[in-house]
Amino acid sequence: MFDLSYFFGVFPVIASKLQVTLLLTLTAAVFSIIIGVTIAVIAYYKIRILYPITRFYLSILRGTPLVAQLYFFYYGLARVSEIVLNMKPLTAVALVLSLNTGAFMSESIRGALLSVDSGQKEAAAMMGMSELQTIRRIVLPQAFRVSLPALFNDLINLLKATSLAFMLGVRDIMGQAKSEGAQSFRYFEIYLAVMIIYWLLVLGFSHLHKIMDRKCMEMY
Amino acid sequence: MIEISHLWKSFDGETDILKDINISIQKGEIVAILGSSGTGKSTLLRCLNYLTKPTDGIIRIGSHGIDAKKHSKKEIMELRSHSAMVFQNYNLFKNKTAIENIMEALITVKGKSKREAQEIGLRLLDKVGMLERKDFFPSKLSGGQQQRVGIARALALNPEVLLLDEPTSALDPELVGEVLNTIQKVAEDGATMILVTHEVMFARRIATRILFMAEGTIIADGTPKEILDNPEDERVKRFLDYNLK
Ligand SMILES: Nc1ncnc2c1ncn2[C@@H]1O[C@H](COP(=O)(O)OP(=O)(O)OP(=O)(O)O)[C@@H](O)[C@H]1O
Ligand SMILES: [Mg+2]
Repeated sequence: MFDLSYFFGVFPVIASKLQVTLLLTLTAAVFSIIIGVTIAVIAYYKIRILYPITRFYLSILRGTPLVAQLYFFYYGLARVSEIVLNMKPLTAVALVLSLNTGAFMSESIRGALLSVDSGQKEAAAMMGMSELQTIRRIVLPQAFRVSLPALFNDLINLLKATSLAFMLGVRDIMGQAKSEGAQSFRYFEIYLAVMIIYWLLVLGFSHLHKIMDRKCMEMY
Repeated sequence: MIEISHLWKSFDGETDILKDINISIQKGEIVAILGSSGTGKSTLLRCLNYLTKPTDGIIRIGSHGIDAKKHSKKEIMELRSHSAMVFQNYNLFKNKTAIENIMEALITVKGKSKREAQEIGLRLLDKVGMLERKDFFPSKLSGGQQQRVGIARALALNPEVLLLDEPTSALDPELVGEVLNTIQKVAEDGATMILVTHEVMFARRIATRILFMAEGTIIADGTPKEILDNPEDERVKRFLDYNLK
């Protein structure tokens, strides 16, 4: 039956890999936002040549499973690319997660960019601001605020998706759990601990979202 | 100072919205443009800073003329640097406070320091009676207050001519007065202004000149007395009957 002392023993061991999971999540989050904003802006201006390329990219990344993408990149591309062959699993996972989440974030941001009324853009143009200044200082901050719920949704999905990293041999929360399980076979205690840790993390992110939302509310 | 010659505008290549407009406006004139809805008043005003690109014609504000048929992006920027516009829907930046709205272009376009921009912002907010609300975001201001910030923002650019497109027509009736007072104050300071409005009495009070538009042309041009007291054209008469009753 449920072994309480084993549970309390294994919990901190698994939780000690929290930093790997968080590092992976935050790194990928930063790059996803950069990718997401870039693609969204390209779509916003329908920039020649780049726009169809990004559409194709989105179609592929949103139209295939993440696990397939991870395997294709880490095992498949390793056959044709020295760089991938020599890449650490953690780096590979971070990269694929960035590319994948970036695709989803771009859609969240794109809609929000369109929600900023054209009157403000005309005001900016009237004053002599450049398109770049306008998008950076007026449109994006407002779009960011509008897309905040969607972005947090993407972020939480990203956090959960990092649990696939163990498939490439990364020792994150999930990876640690797997190796503990191989020794003790106490899967119930181990995966209960895993569930609780991820759940608490997600609650934390949701709380952060609420705080940021309230901050934004006070403004605009 | 402002010279509009042979200005044409068509949006679809078939119907002409502006038909061969020729106007010259001197420094210090307060020009009110009147006319029924859809006659091209906004289009004319927006052509003056190329928010709407004319189809043909030359616009000169200050020294440099810009030709609709051939011009560079730089020339458009140059043209825009001579004027500032007040919009019907205010169009304040929603992510910036009242004072930040004013400081924005001073810093990013005019290259002023933050402190300079702030000083100018405070002075102009005081002028339009919005000093106490300097740190309010637009969403926390009434329409009339937003429009007064809009006027301050336009003045901050130190334009040679102020363009106002129906600055009070989106406002609740009880808020119109405060904005008209602000505009009058600016007019009394000797600004050059082109004002599209349906407020005929207000136009009569502050304008030095009235242009009356119908179907894309200017059918009457003169002092308020000439145009409003003894209208000759049937269309002007009808417009006044309707708007003054
Ligand atoms: N962006 C546009 N695309 C197509 N047609 C336009 C556009 N802007 C204006 N028009 C047309 O040009 C004509 C003149 O419009 P404009 O807005 O200049 O009129 P106005 O005199 O300002 O009217 P109002 O008093 O209602 O503001 C209208 O028939 C309008 O439908
Ligand atoms: Mg109009």
